[in-house]
Amino acid sequence: MIETTFPRGTVLRIRPWLGIAAAATFVVASVMALLWAPTDAVQGDVYRILYVHVPLAWLSYLAFVIVFLASVGWLWSKRPVFDAIAVASAEIGVLFTGLFIVAGSIWAKPTWGVWWTWEPRLVTTSIMFVMYVGYLLLRSLSTDFSRRATRAAVFGIIAVIDVPIVHLSVLWANSLHQLPTVLRVSGGPALDSSMLLTLMVSLGAYTLVYAYFLSARISLELARQERMWTRT
Amino acid sequence: MKALARVALVAGRELRAERRQPDGIVAAVTFIAVLVLLESLVVGPAVARDADIAPALFWLALAFAAILATMRSFDRELEDDALEALVALPGGRDALFGGKVSALWLILAIVALIGGLLSLVLLDLPVSLPGHLLILVALGVIALPPVIVVDVVLTLRLRARAALVPILALPVLVPQLVAATRGATAAMSGDGVGALSWAGLLFAFAVVYGVLGLTIVPAAVE
Amino acid sequence: MIDDRRILSGVNIDVGPGLTLVRGPNGAGKTTLLRALAGLIPITLGQREVSGEMLFIGQRPMLLRGLTARENLSFYSRFRGRTADVDAALAAWGLPATEFDRPVERLSAGERRRASLARLDTEALPLVLLDEPFTELDEGAAAKLRAAIARVVHDGRTAVVATHGHAELDASAHATIVLDRGARVS
Repeated sequence: MIETTFPRGTVLRIRPWLGIAAAATFVVASVMALLWAPTDAVQGDVYRILYVHVPLAWLSYLAFVIVFLASVGWLWSKRPVFDAIAVASAEIGVLFTGLFIVAGSIWAKPTWGVWWTWEPRLVTTSIMFVMYVGYLLLRSLSTDFSRRATRAAVFGIIAVIDVPIVHLSVLWANSLHQLPTVLRVSGGPALDSSMLLTLMVSLGAYTLVYAYFLSARISLELARQERMWTRT
Repeated sequence: MKALARVALVAGRELRAERRQPDGIVAAVTFIAVLVLLESLVVGPAVARDADIAPALFWLALAFAAILATMRSFDRELEDDALEALVALPGGRDALFGGKVSALWLILAIVALIGGLLSLVLLDLPVSLPGHLLILVALGVIALPPVIVVDVVLTLRLRARAALVPILALPVLVPQLVAATRGATAAMSGDGVGALSWAGLLFAFAVVYGVLGLTIVPAAVE
Repeated sequence: MIDDRRILSGVNIDVGPGLTLVRGPNGAGKTTLLRALAGLIPITLGQREVSGEMLFIGQRPMLLRGLTARENLSFYSRFRGRTADVDAALAAWGLPATEFDRPVERLSAGERRRASLARLDTEALPLVLLDEPFTELDEGAAAKLRAAIARVVHDGRTAVVATHGHAELDASAHATIVLDRGARVS
């Protein structure tokens, strides 16, 4: 009854395959990351968390860019499917950002000796995390569909524009105002080719996992919307 | 009627109501005064004078004070549905953001002036470049309201809105707060170039979020 | 759609010059329909088309507290780029001159209502939407309101009035929309 202009049949047919592909690549990536990739000369085996950390970082940014695009889409066309995409991506993004921070913390302890440091990238990521928790909070407190979608879309757009500005301002603040620099990452460690390949496979695996979660969450949301339209 | 004239009308309406019922400004000034007093008690007078500490607390307090004043301003709009009458006017949706932000600039300037003087006097702050500090505070006052007005509009009529506004606004305000604090520290410790470059940055933030608010807020008011 | 509940559905209305009454029991969706016509709530599925400037007066007076009745009314007319004799309008609606310059929160509910209805004179627009305009009015003011609605109709303008009482309006109505539980009954 409501035109979502979303090829639901196709999605339903593709999703199981997407799930299988995600699971399979994930297994391959895990084996490569844990067994095949060589041990790092300096950090030892601890560095292997890189294969989790970097893909999570990439996906949390990707997820929020998708939120941004979906938000613009909603404001532009008011098609409910865009709101479903935005909420799906934001939830997964918060999850991945949270895991990213935890993984970073676990990595930081043995390498830098602390769980947490005020390194610009970490600060930016944690502020981004808080912003999107706020985004989800705003959604959960709004009670009606159009209003919730519009308000969330506005905040989704502001948040994405803000993330790079936050990063730059934190960066500048630190360069003008010397913080203890012991903790600064001294450029990424040079990766040899097998490490690079493992990283790429991990990136692919996590991206597939994201795509699978996203499509599952979107159809959940669309089903919820449909119930809402038909309820009196 | 020109869009700018409409914005001026909305700002004038706001300021007139605030003058007659100064709840927003009273709450904001009281808040910042209490904070300045507490600051010297909590960290001790010597630390409170630190060129790094005093500006940081001042700007955080000012951001909260601005949130208080903005929420009060919209509370007044919601009583008797005055906001709906404004939004139902042709061009009302578009004038709302500009009018509120410009009224808030003036209100916040008064709050900042009182709060700033209080800090200077009570904490006996050493300021090596007062002119630079004044420019920086003025630009900081201009940079805060756009973000806050957007966030207050987004939470209109929601439950738990008093908690939600700071949660939404403060992370977005991080760049403004960092720039304002670093700039004030620079002005206090005699780094003129530093103070002015942070002031320039504040101006840029004001423009970015001002333009963003002007384009996006009309869609968010329903 | 409010609180994720469907308030109105399948309601198609076409309003032309003259008086259109919106009737129905409490909770039928009268207010929602008017607010949707005024563009104050998003229409999830459907659209609205309005030609000409419109004046919407809701169930509450829509006057900003802290401002006087005179300041409120002249704000609205100046915002529309019009000049209006606010004092004459307020006086015509029976507000004593001593009350013109008191902040609206210190007026009585009936006075606020009348000050709000005086916008019918200061903003005489082609389309007028009134939501339960008779609440809080005494008989004298109600008569004034009926006369004001008649004036709108006489000028060939459009008035949409939502109310559940006031059967006397039926005689002058050009169309009646009856709502029940979010659907149009007739």
